Amino acid sequence: MSATEQHKVIDSRGSFCPGPITDLFKAYRSAQLGDVIELLATDPAARADVTAWAQKSGNELVDIIDEQGYLRIVIKITKKRG
Amino acid sequence: MQRVVVLGSGDGGTFTANLLASELRDEIRGGLASVQLVGEHLKHPFQPGNLDVAFKGTDPEKYIKDETELLRKGVDFIQDPAVKIDYASRSVTTKSGRVLGYDFLVIATGAVADPSKIPGLAEGSMNFHTGGKNAERIWQALQKFEGGTVVVAIAGTPHKCPPSPDEAAFMLDEFFRKRGIRDKVKIKFLTPYPRPYPAEKISKIVEPMFQEKGIEVSTFFNVDTVDPKERRIYSLEGEAFDYDMLIAVPPHHGADVVINSGIGDQDGYVPTDRGTMRVIGQENAYCIGDATNIPVSKSGVVAHLQSVVVAHNIVAEIEKSRDFLEYNGRINCPMEVGQHRAIFVSATYTSPPTDQTPSMVKYYMKRSFAMIYWRALNGSLERVFDLFFGKTRFPLSKPPEPEKKIEVKVTEGGKMDA
Repeated sequence: MSATEQHKVIDSRGSFCPGPITDLFKAYRSAQLGDVIELLATDPAARADVTAWAQKSGNELVDIIDEQGYLRIVIKITKKRG
Repeated sequence: MQRVVVLGSGDGGTFTANLLASELRDEIRGGLASVQLVGEHLKHPFQPGNLDVAFKGTDPEKYIKDETELLRKGVDFIQDPAVKIDYASRSVTTKSGRVLGYDFLVIATGAVADPSKIPGLAEGSMNFHTGGKNAERIWQALQKFEGGTVVVAIAGTPHKCPPSPDEAAFMLDEFFRKRGIRDKVKIKFLTPYPRPYPAEKISKIVEPMFQEKGIEVSTFFNVDTVDPKERRIYSLEGEAFDYDMLIAVPPHHGADVVINSGIGDQDGYVPTDRGTMRVIGQENAYCIGDATNIPVSKSGVVAHLQSVVVAHNIVAEIEKSRDFLEYNGRINCPMEVGQHRAIFVSATYTSPPTDQTPSMVKYYMKRSFAMIYWRALNGSLERVFDLFFGKTRFPLSKPPEPEKKIEVKVTEGGKMDA
């Protein structure tokens, strides 16, 4: 990761659909290629939603980790228009 | 003297001021309390009516009344919008330079739909989120439309009235069928969400109806730009679609007074406790409705139910006579789905929306709300609403699980800050 690339942690724990995916999109809007976004979510729907978004958009789903009571979803921004 | 200042004369602000004037009647008469409502406009619109203006041709004037007709005795309406909120000095400055001190503040300044936030959107689209006159432009354009692609797009979240984009697609379908040109029109629905409606149970109702009506859906479409000349809309994800008519829900942000006072989050919404509706970190300031940062529907019903809690809690503080209340996140958003049928998107913080069948009863209940809205603002229908909505608040002595606040932490150069 270069010095200009960012690693953002988005804490959406306690928020239900569409909260986590909406928080991810906000971060995506301001992200640059190469940035890593880590989404923390207690809503189990976030797993399928983020996976589907990454597949459709062509961004890289790096990992989904089952932490104690929440998910840690790691996405690398590899595709974004502009 | 206990001075309550309510900022914003929309649904939530008007209703809160009326409730306070009613509950503090004796104190106001005795000169021991005052309720000042600070707003910009003398005209008060019923905002959900904009869908009817846009897709059914209703005169926007039908959904407007003078603010002064809606206020109870005891409310001092100041038509002079707030431009600065200062928690430290407990004061509000208005556009004309007047400084209002307060003992209790209610921020009900709403959300602003702002097409200028997306390049090309203002020039290339129409919308029903920026007032009745703009909604009327849609109706006028529809009269001349003879065929082609109509795109309905959600260009930013959160936005007011979550069901309204889906309703727009349903209402467009119905409009073109009535005109007899549905076979010449492609309706395309672009949403950033994973499904046609964000809540899964509701989407399971909407999705087959969209399919049956031939409304095409493209999910995960976060609007990036619009090219008004080429009539093309682009997503951040790299998709693009052509359109002949674009009806878009603009991105929203908090009110200028919140942004300029430096009391909002990155989108200009006020950090607010989702139960007591107190501004986070402030003992004597509350926030309701679209102005809050709470991840709950931005809708009139939510503002209404939160107003009851806030008015109660302020009176509790003034009279020291009752427990605080907490709002339980109850939402109730009606959605028309065509053919005189509707569903209600109902939920709380802890109970997501449930499955249901579209019905005519719900449709006529939705229609009737436009008629009772004005009476609802003065508080005279609260018993009816309590019966309809059920439990929407509870005493603070029995709090729910503590809420985790949404926080965005940013670090540079690969360091984690979890």
